[in-house]
Amino acid sequence: MRAVIAEDLALLRDGLTRLLRDNDIEVVDAVTDGDALVHAVVRERPDIAIVDIRMPPTFRDEGLRAALELRERVPDTAILIVSQYVEGTYARELLADGRGGIGYLLKDRVMDVDAFVEAVRRVAAGGTALDPEVVAHFVGRHDRLAALTPREKEVLALMAEGRSNAGIADVLVLTVGAVEKHVASILQKLRLPPSDETHLRVLAVLAYLDST
Amino acid sequence: MTENGAMIFLLRRAAHRSPWAVLLFDLFLLVVWAGSGSSSFWPVWVWLPTGLVLAAGWWGREKRSPLTQQLGYAGLIGLFLIGIWAAAGFGNFWPVYPIAVMGLGIGLRAVTRGAASEARVEELTVSRAGAVEAAESQLRRIERDLHDGAQARLVALGMNLGLAEQQLAKDPEKAQEHLAEARKAAAAALQELRDLARGIHPPILADRGLDAAIRALATHAGIPVSVDVELAKRPPATVETAAYFVAAEGLANALKHARASRIDIDVHERGDAVVVRVLDDGHGGASEVKGGLHGLRQRVEALDGTLRIASPDGGPTVVEAVLPCVR
Repeated sequence: MRAVIAEDLALLRDGLTRLLRDNDIEVVDAVTDGDALVHAVVRERPDIAIVDIRMPPTFRDEGLRAALELRERVPDTAILIVSQYVEGTYARELLADGRGGIGYLLKDRVMDVDAFVEAVRRVAAGGTALDPEVVAHFVGRHDRLAALTPREKEVLALMAEGRSNAGIADVLVLTVGAVEKHVASILQKLRLPPSDETHLRVLAVLAYLDST
Repeated sequence: MTENGAMIFLLRRAAHRSPWAVLLFDLFLLVVWAGSGSSSFWPVWVWLPTGLVLAAGWWGREKRSPLTQQLGYAGLIGLFLIGIWAAAGFGNFWPVYPIAVMGLGIGLRAVTRGAASEARVEELTVSRAGAVEAAESQLRRIERDLHDGAQARLVALGMNLGLAEQQLAKDPEKAQEHLAEARKAAAAALQELRDLARGIHPPILADRGLDAAIRALATHAGIPVSVDVELAKRPPATVETAAYFVAAEGLANALKHARASRIDIDVHERGDAVVVRVLDDGHGGASEVKGGLHGLRQRVEALDGTLRIASPDGGPTVVEAVLPCVR
């Protein structure tokens, strides 16, 4: 797998590069601002671009804007945003086109190397990876979820993070069959169309939550 | 003649100390005059000077009173003088002169006070905007420092720990490398947090005051810095903090830009103000346009202080702040 990194702080750029290489992900370029990211991705066509939000020259949301531009220009490259803060607005913008291959994680998540690498692979393969903080932002403020049982809410949150049924079963120590039943119940209670593909499921859930 | 002078002196003192006694005395003279049956109204020659002295006393004492009050006093005095004039048998209308003088005085005062308060409003508006801007940019700087500094180091620390954990079984040597990196990142994060906290409010300043805090700054300078702090008592906290940052910024500026070989920092009292002066023997040419000195001016002016920077090309550079302790 080939990746491009955009991160202005050398400390984190180098660390991330090493982390990915140690896990057999080739880092074909590591750049420090949004324009350079767009160029690198257009040139290299990597499987995934791992992008910091705040970069030079303005230190605001360069990374995000570059990512949105790349979604249009190079739709085959997945985007994983890693940032020191999560903003619901940014997540909404990233998810707006309703396609998979998108992720938004706090930088803290790199500490769990295996889970992080797994998220990188999942996003690169067209799935989603949303930080629990992002999910909490969507899920936390909706009373339409009142109909769900506590267990179903847990399942929904994990679904929204982009986990597969097997992944959810692992986290909650349930059988896959039990998770499937919960998922079906959630989709039914929220009146969402049933779907097999993980990222479609996530996007449907988020779109539903966002529309309220 | 000397007797007369002594009389006037006594009269003035009496008028200042106990105006009512003077008024009683004037009444007493009226009674004496009525009793004496004199045709010439001689008490007027005592009334006139005592009246003026009383008026001056009131004028002086009520310097800060509102304009209307002053007008009231002036009107009373005017009436009093006209009364004397009438009692003296009319004739030439001499009260016009003192009344005109009083009117002129009040008018002048009104004009100058109006201009002064307008200027003050202007000054406060500017210094308040400066203070808000300074606080805002300081907050932004702190956020940036946290984001790029300690926060990033903690992420790197966690990342190295994660890698070490991952490698522990298959490549212990590599895991050890990651652990060493993690320890370094933790130390660096701590250092950055400490520096940041010191930049916001140095703990030693609160604990030990200006002298110790500025000496602590000086020990890190790397060149000779003489520190002379002479304060009878600790100034208010806002003044103390501002004084510290004048010293810190002046010092940093001299070290960074002036290529100085020695620096003198001097803090002393001047009246109700604290004066901080940083002098270096560097090549001068300090600019206020960018960087710390501009922020420093805003900080000082927010406290109604003044900052003076003299830095001719070739040096020396003097940064001097005068920080009033009361206003």
